[in-house]
Amino acid sequence: MPQLPMEGIRVLDSTYVFALPYTGALLSDFGAEVIKIEGPAHPDTTRNSGLAGSYPEHDLGDDPWNRPSTYNLLHRGKQSLTLDMTDPRGRDLFRDMVRVSDVVMENFTPRVMRAWELDYPNLRKIKPDIIMISNTGFGHGGGPYSNNPAQATTLEGMHGHCWVTGYDGDGPNRVGASFVDFLSTWTALFAIGSALRYRSRTGQGQWADIAMYQAGVMFMSDYLMDAISNGRDGERIGNRHPYRAPQGCYPAQGDNEWIALSVGTDEQWQSLCKVLGREDLAQNARYADLLSRQRNHDELDKVIETWSAERDKYDMMHQLQGVGIPAGPVLTGKDVHFDPQYKSRGFLERVEYPEERGLGSRIFMGRPYKFSNTPLRIRGPAPTFGQDNERLLKELLGIKDDVYQGLVQDSITAEIPLAGNPVPRIPQERMVELGLMAAWDPEYRERLGLS
Amino acid sequence: MPPGVLGGVKVLDLSEDIAGSFCARLLADYGADVLKLEPPGGAALRRMGPFHQDDPHPEKSLFNLVLNLNKKGATINLETTTGQALLKELVQRVDVVVETFHPGHLESLGLGYDALQELNPSLVMTSITPFGQEGPYSQYLGEEIVSYAMGMIMSISGSQGRAPLKHGGFQAQYEGGLNGAAATAICLFGMENGCGGQHIDVAINDCVASTMMATQTMYPFMGGTQHRRRATGQDFTYPMPCADGWVIVQTGGGASWEDIVNLFQEPELLDSRFSNTDERALNGVEMDKIMVDALSRLNKWDLFAKAAEARILFGLVQTPKEIAECPQLESREFYREVDHPVIGKIKVPAVLFNFSLCPYELRHPAPTLGQHNQEIYVDGLGYSQEDFCRLRQLNAI
Repeated sequence: MPQLPMEGIRVLDSTYVFALPYTGALLSDFGAEVIKIEGPAHPDTTRNSGLAGSYPEHDLGDDPWNRPSTYNLLHRGKQSLTLDMTDPRGRDLFRDMVRVSDVVMENFTPRVMRAWELDYPNLRKIKPDIIMISNTGFGHGGGPYSNNPAQATTLEGMHGHCWVTGYDGDGPNRVGASFVDFLSTWTALFAIGSALRYRSRTGQGQWADIAMYQAGVMFMSDYLMDAISNGRDGERIGNRHPYRAPQGCYPAQGDNEWIALSVGTDEQWQSLCKVLGREDLAQNARYADLLSRQRNHDELDKVIETWSAERDKYDMMHQLQGVGIPAGPVLTGKDVHFDPQYKSRGFLERVEYPEERGLGSRIFMGRPYKFSNTPLRIRGPAPTFGQDNERLLKELLGIKDDVYQGLVQDSITAEIPLAGNPVPRIPQERMVELGLMAAWDPEYRERLGLS
Repeated sequence: MPPGVLGGVKVLDLSEDIAGSFCARLLADYGADVLKLEPPGGAALRRMGPFHQDDPHPEKSLFNLVLNLNKKGATINLETTTGQALLKELVQRVDVVVETFHPGHLESLGLGYDALQELNPSLVMTSITPFGQEGPYSQYLGEEIVSYAMGMIMSISGSQGRAPLKHGGFQAQYEGGLNGAAATAICLFGMENGCGGQHIDVAINDCVASTMMATQTMYPFMGGTQHRRRATGQDFTYPMPCADGWVIVQTGGGASWEDIVNLFQEPELLDSRFSNTDERALNGVEMDKIMVDALSRLNKWDLFAKAAEARILFGLVQTPKEIAECPQLESREFYREVDHPVIGKIKVPAVLFNFSLCPYELRHPAPTLGQHNQEIYVDGLGYSQEDFCRLRQLNAI
């Protein structure tokens, strides 16, 4: 078996929240040695805020900062080192780490690394072929918004996505997850793979300056061109399609169950009429072609709803796909765990935790692709806060024990975060009552076979 | 000037859709030599609107203009034996093939990964399809809305009591394209690292699903299923109307709740009912009413400037026209002017991110249909001018 693509590459992951931590997780899947760096008083946001996701059995436990689902997904397979970068000693240790690394990732607002003299021109002096990845809301440089704080939530409005997302006739909307973060996640992977190849060919490193806003705008290219060429300013069309009809998301049998389907060709329309048991419509001139179906879309929605509401969402998918109509059920976060296609692709992976972590085994998403020659796996659980401090500082940097004890003493490094309190939990039943959760299944451990 | 970061990488782009074209364009943007291969009648992308000045001419599809930027273009008819033979010749001269055919289609033509890898052992082939190459649904048909549905995002987008809501635009296609490019770059480096050729099997549904961190993990962590936002009481952190548009405000960043309250100029928001995330969730209806009322007196760009000063996480809902004139994107040279042989000079969104040593370089406009046939088949593969004409007559190119 060949080695993994990133084997032998050491990555310093000094990043927070979602975007680049996720890049680090994927790099670990690819075989890189990824060292997550946090400040003793600046633990990752996914350890304790509203971004933490869920806690095992909804229980904060004794070490809540090591337990959240989002933290554990985004830091699988990494090592953890805590360094106080606000202290010169912490920054010196960071520099020492840079000397023995291949890639550095950071996502501070532009002024921070500059003020610490840890920006690219400075890191390059320490390690000339270093590859550095910076991810910010609006990008470095002298632009008017470069120093604005930003997160995906607010950027989704800025990059135009909200403007074109929403129910027909309603205001702009945001999708349920922080979309633009992931565009930076993947952009960073692309930059790192390309830059590492370049370095292996030329010996030269470089700096990638990624702006989430810019990546989000890129995904709006067609709307931008319509604005530039035709002066059109985008519109919200709900679940419909600019040149397919009917298309929509329709209720299925059960509570909050839905099916999406999309008809593009006249042939698919004829097939849909048969599936609906409405051959009469197939002959009706009101729906004969795409233009007429678009005009009379509301009527067709009613016909489809009447049919769909009584049927199982998976049955409908198989029936519609069986006659060549694109269709699929709306899958929830629960459904994917039982979906045959995700199962067959091995998209969800089981990660076993050491006994003392008290997490048993948990299931996490892997990657959206498979490599034929080097099968990939999540390589281990997320580390506890500062888990690798002593080993990395002593073995990798050769720090003597008395110096290490001094660093611990002065909280330059720590194994318990010095700040950040978890948000108290609302009981599960109450969350469902309040609409903060769609459903709660107390039997999930048995159903998933979690140890 | 050093070559692009992917300088020297040669790519064949067989795709007809957004995902594959975007993937190959990113490789081209960062220095790879990409050849777009289209059927003699042109790829499906050329028939997709919007069109330049609303003229549905095959050279004026704006998708084609943008997504085939920096590529060269030739025609090839893979349904003919001669076309298949041409592809086999071309494959031996490249590092990467990008394709988005229905799974099994290339195999049926004798052009699947195994057959091509026999001709070129270190070939990376990047296949991007809705469901992936294998598995019980791999033969099912994908569409944007189906990817959003099966990728979980719809289950939490939109409002409770209404149907799940899809993303606007073609986000799933772009997601598939970017993931394809990322995986390709990783595998190209992997080759330096001894991994050899790879068939990369990207599933667009899985790309969408990959964005669902909190949603997926909620079930194996606590048995919960995430929901869409409530019909009322959950406007905060979503677009809220102001006097002249829509704005989004979020806690966090360098700002306190007091800073946010100052931005709204509404001291009532200091009440203990709104003091933390859970309180705000419990008292959302009242809070939204107070906020929307306060915002109705305020303008979006004033708010934007004040929020930046107070280090508040703040966004306003920009429209495509506003983004097309954005000074921040201007400062980062995001847009570039391209001179297209049919469309003429036009500004296009160009730069995904900025590299210090190997910056983005605009090299060619999107090719016209078959523009580089002569260069590829005569100069490149060495066909005589007579045979080149014959290939056209045989409908092989």
